[in-house]
Amino acid sequence: MSTENTLTARIGRPVGRVRRAVGGVLARRDGQVVFVGAVLGYLLLYSVAVGDLARSVTGGVDISVVDQPLSRLFESMGPFQYEPIAFVQLGAVDYLFAPLNAAIGLGLAVLVGLNLAVAYGAWRTPTACGLPASGGTGGVAGLVAGVPALLSGTVCCGPVILLVVSVQATAGLLAVFQWLLPVAVALLVGSLLVASRRVRL
Amino acid sequence: MDHSHRLTRRTVLRALGGGAGGAAIGSVAGCLDTPRERIDIRETARGGSSGILENPDGPPPVLADQRLHVGHSLVAMESAAVSGGPGVDGIPSVDEPDFQAASEAELDNADPVFGVVRNGVAKAYPQSILVWHEIVNDAFDGEPVAVTYCPLTGTAQGFERGETTFGVSGLLVNSNLIMYDRGTGTRWPQIAATGIEGPLADRSLAEFPVVWSTWGSWRAVHPDTQVLTTDTGYQRRYGSDPYGGYNPPSDYYADDSLLFEPLASSDAAEPKTVVIGARTPDGAIAFNKETLLAGGVMTGKAGGVGFIAVADPALETGYVYRNDEGATVEAAAGGEPGRYTVDGQPAAAAELPLDRLVATDAMFFAWYGFYPEMTYVD
Repeated sequence: MSTENTLTARIGRPVGRVRRAVGGVLARRDGQVVFVGAVLGYLLLYSVAVGDLARSVTGGVDISVVDQPLSRLFESMGPFQYEPIAFVQLGAVDYLFAPLNAAIGLGLAVLVGLNLAVAYGAWRTPTACGLPASGGTGGVAGLVAGVPALLSGTVCCGPVILLVVSVQATAGLLAVFQWLLPVAVALLVGSLLVASRRVRL
Repeated sequence: MDHSHRLTRRTVLRALGGGAGGAAIGSVAGCLDTPRERIDIRETARGGSSGILENPDGPPPVLADQRLHVGHSLVAMESAAVSGGPGVDGIPSVDEPDFQAASEAELDNADPVFGVVRNGVAKAYPQSILVWHEIVNDAFDGEPVAVTYCPLTGTAQGFERGETTFGVSGLLVNSNLIMYDRGTGTRWPQIAATGIEGPLADRSLAEFPVVWSTWGSWRAVHPDTQVLTTDTGYQRRYGSDPYGGYNPPSDYYADDSLLFEPLASSDAAEPKTVVIGARTPDGAIAFNKETLLAGGVMTGKAGGVGFIAVADPALETGYVYRNDEGATVEAAAGGEPGRYTVDGQPAAAAELPLDRLVATDAMFFAWYGFYPEMTYVD
């Protein structure tokens, strides 16, 4: 019984801290701005990284949807990448709408946004609390934690990033790419837990 | 889409599961034309999150009478296979291709297309579409075929698929696409055209020629050609190319970088030099395409077999023939492009009275990687 209580406390305490920190930061207008800006910025970056958002090939404005969107949207193209069901041409940009990619990107973006917002909150915390102002460090950690997911995009025969930097792929390196997104999630959650300890709003 | 011959992990798991499993098993067995108890399914853990199912009783693709020469053991090729990232069918084949008339196609004259003439029908497959799908399961006047393309090795090849279809395994060897047939689950490196793993390992596929040309040239020679459209059933940024471009050549297609380690390498030519390669059951040869187009005729010998290559300037391509008898082939008098004489008898480049082999454009590093003992004629 006491073991269960200890376990509940071990999980509950940090989760409670995150809830309080997030609640406190998002109650402030400047915190909301940081959060929304980070979410939109990361979502944009992620969409580019996985190849869903790019400069237009032909220009023009158009939208087309596949014949069987409901079955197509669950078809996997690679690790954590799924089939687009619609193609949206918006003048200078093309957007392939893959609902599951968008959901994954949004989830990651929210984590990055929370990290930055909480780090911002920590930075704004008066040093009189006796804690060092570490918002800058927390913000950097949150941003860095989101990077692996940006490298996880694959296209056709290989990871996008290897094509970009012209690095020859090995079996080991390719195996690493399959874990980039889960690693990013773990890092983002971890850094959020740590950053929340710094907030005294 | 007709999934009647598509045996995927999901299909079989669903078939073997409870609930409607009985009916599903019946449907799977039925589509394979085999009794349920005869289905031998083994799943490999290769190729990413989902594997390829093997079924020795599944409908096979059409096989060649003789196994083609391969430069490495099957085990060596199989063990050198790596996952490129996408899983099985992560790069989706086009299984219900749609075509339009040449007059409706929005292609630049210099855009590369892969041309096929079969059973009196001419079709062009734009590289800009195949770079996203790699395989088109098509039919020519009822004859089932697969037109395939690997962007990393610059190879476009055609195979008679019989009652099955081909899919992209997600695996690569020597940077080359490893296809799998959905009937038996055998894995086939495209260039080798020989099974390296699965029920049909060590057998070769029946091939037919695919001409790597440009839209302007192909259309001029085949004005009635049909052209594959972007109505593939999938959404892609057609017109963009993740590796670079051919019109003009750029990035991966033009530089010396390789994305994957080759099976073997040589300094005899730059890695991306375009060669026209051919192989028989006894050996392999490659001719420098630029030299061939400039000179018209090239000869060589490999595996005890004499070869002769002739240029077809109209399609910007070349053809390779066996020349066991040592026939004399020369450009036709008067210099008419694409016309030759064989022991004094005139003939068009594509119709020399010799045994024409299936030849394919390829990047030098890729052909050499598969056939390190090949003869290279430059």
